[in-house]
Amino acid sequence: MMRRDERRGAAAAATCRDQFPVGMRVLAVDDDPVCLKVLETLLRRCQYHVTATNQAIIALRMLRENRDMFDLVISDVHMPDMDGFKLLELVGLEMDLPVIMLSVNGETKTVMKGITHGACDYLLKPVRIEELKNIWQHVVRRKFSTRDSLNADMYEECNKPPSSDSDYLYDQVKCGSSVQSGRPNKKRKEYHSEEEDEDGDSSGQDNDDPSAPKRPRVVWSVELHRKFVTAVNHLGIDKAVPKRILELMNVEKLTRENVASHLQKYRVYLRRLSAVASQQAGIVAALGGRDPFLRMDAFEGLQGYQAFTSPAALSTFGAHGLLNSPRNNQTAVVIQGVATSRSIPTGSSSCTTNPLIGDAANYHLSPPGNRHGNLAQGLVTSLGQTQLEQKWMNEGSGDLSSILSGSSRANGMPRMLPSVTSSPLLPSDLVECTQAQVAIQPPVTAPSASLEQLEGAIGASSGTLVSRVSQQNALSPSGFSANGLLVHGSLNNYGASFSSNGATRLGDAFSASFRQTNDFTVPRGMKVGSSSFGGAIHLSPDTTEQKYLSFGSSDSLLDPKLVWSSSQLPSNIGAHHFMS
Amino acid sequence: MDYSNLRRQAASLKKGLFDQGHLDEQFRQVEDLQDEASPNFVEEVVVVFFKDSGRLITNLEQALEKYPRDFNRWDAYMQQLKGSCSSIGASRMKNECMSFRDSCGQRNVEGCMGSFQKLKREHAVLRQKLESYFQLLRQAGPAGAATRPVM
Repeated sequence: MMRRDERRGAAAAATCRDQFPVGMRVLAVDDDPVCLKVLETLLRRCQYHVTATNQAIIALRMLRENRDMFDLVISDVHMPDMDGFKLLELVGLEMDLPVIMLSVNGETKTVMKGITHGACDYLLKPVRIEELKNIWQHVVRRKFSTRDSLNADMYEECNKPPSSDSDYLYDQVKCGSSVQSGRPNKKRKEYHSEEEDEDGDSSGQDNDDPSAPKRPRVVWSVELHRKFVTAVNHLGIDKAVPKRILELMNVEKLTRENVASHLQKYRVYLRRLSAVASQQAGIVAALGGRDPFLRMDAFEGLQGYQAFTSPAALSTFGAHGLLNSPRNNQTAVVIQGVATSRSIPTGSSSCTTNPLIGDAANYHLSPPGNRHGNLAQGLVTSLGQTQLEQKWMNEGSGDLSSILSGSSRANGMPRMLPSVTSSPLLPSDLVECTQAQVAIQPPVTAPSASLEQLEGAIGASSGTLVSRVSQQNALSPSGFSANGLLVHGSLNNYGASFSSNGATRLGDAFSASFRQTNDFTVPRGMKVGSSSFGGAIHLSPDTTEQKYLSFGSSDSLLDPKLVWSSSQLPSNIGAHHFMS
Repeated sequence: MDYSNLRRQAASLKKGLFDQGHLDEQFRQVEDLQDEASPNFVEEVVVVFFKDSGRLITNLEQALEKYPRDFNRWDAYMQQLKGSCSSIGASRMKNECMSFRDSCGQRNVEGCMGSFQKLKREHAVLRQKLESYFQLLRQAGPAGAATRPVM
């Protein structure tokens, strides 16, 4: 239903766009139903085309599915399923869209945080229509300012080695904004790149000169990204240059520039992983983690790992921990058993990722500070990373078999651990996720039975997944509750391609460390849909989570999972009585 | 049925709410958003508000009991509530939210409890009055007329 509406909305919006700012497409995100309803109406009164959702996760998914669907995002700061600042970061980095923050909290430090995270504006609630009438300026401003920036500069910055936390964050902010600024040159075009004039360039330099005529933007599908990562892994992350990557990928109509810019982003992504992971290194995730959210997007590196025997723990990252400052996140980097037993229905695309996830499940990714520190770093802890991955993973079948069999490549750098940002959604969300557009990967002849489990688990209802797990592995999902896994689309595509490609090398590194550790029990056949972000939630019987669960309860007048666009508004609520 | 009289009553009820500080300018902003496209907008928002705030108050009440001195948690709930209140213009409630949060900041349990009780009272009063208001409007005229904001 949402898709239909979106399409209708998008079609209508297309005509409106000519009369910008009339018809400017805004995505509004706020968990407070009252605020959201008022905000949406205010925005429509400004003649914008509005899509509203009360869940950041859904917002992310929509953005990832098609970032061209929106011109601007307005989001609340305090949301239960995701910190607004994190959403802000991700959107800015990944989609290069202006984001406006909303909050009742007008304290300077909070506003400052918004700005440093890249918000182009910060509004206090209650929002006045006068303020909203001007927000279109941010869209225009961004387009103008990015036109002149040089991608070359960005590249330099983006490739600085990870430094301390604060420096890292600063770099990221700079990098993120730089990356953002470079993007508009390639925005608004669909699918294949058309200009290949750079193909013959043998300079080997990354050269995304933004002053060149606008190039069509390449959509990095799951398959494409997988090839990319495979190539990068093959070359070695440090030695991967766009030209060689392009050669290895052997994709028609892909230019070195496409690869170069993608590589930039990929490096940013990796750096985020390593920075966050290193911050969390040393934290051993509590098994059966208390965190309601399980990040699935770190599974990337786990693919290819085939030793299901060794216990691995899927780290469960508190969503807030992950999303918020990593410093505050006390969740273990190590993947604990939680995830594995939870089959995370990730939607069709997770086909490829499932096997990976299973592999990932067996990883013990915690070792802090040792030479496997990178492993820890591989754990994706920030949504930002997830977003990056997601972006890189659209539908598309990947070459799973190569990934899975790629045992020989170990770049020693763990990619992300699948981390699923969960939300207290019910299994119906799983269904929703399964319908997310994802290419089903051809069954990989994985040596381990868990693969099959994974495949079977993919996209299936949580119940199915669970049953398969028990069938095949005799591992009882520890505390797994079918209902507990919610897959939210956002991360969906990510994990898949990511893990599939990057995992090969990582897999080896992981397996080595895994065999040595037995303290983690990861249920085999962990079907953490790394890619399918669907948001598997690791719900542990925790009152904290109860709070989240109740959020989505039918108590609320509005369906918590409701996403509606301006063209369709539930307008018959008036008949209700106040008293519930 | 004297529709004009009912409308007058509704208008007077609403005026009272403003005069006594239950509602503020933001409520008028919400009213302004009601139009032919959303003829019941104000009532819809109010319904959502009371449902959501009722839930938050219940949760907070449980939290006050279950998590003694957990000011962070309490404050988080109250921040949500404050957001709703300010979006709809529930002024007195909003003030109680703020004083509650101040008490949290000072780690003053009695202050919190006191504010919370006041908040609940304000919530109940506002709910009852607004319900009467909309009821009057409904009675005051045919379907279309009833939804027009009464000045």
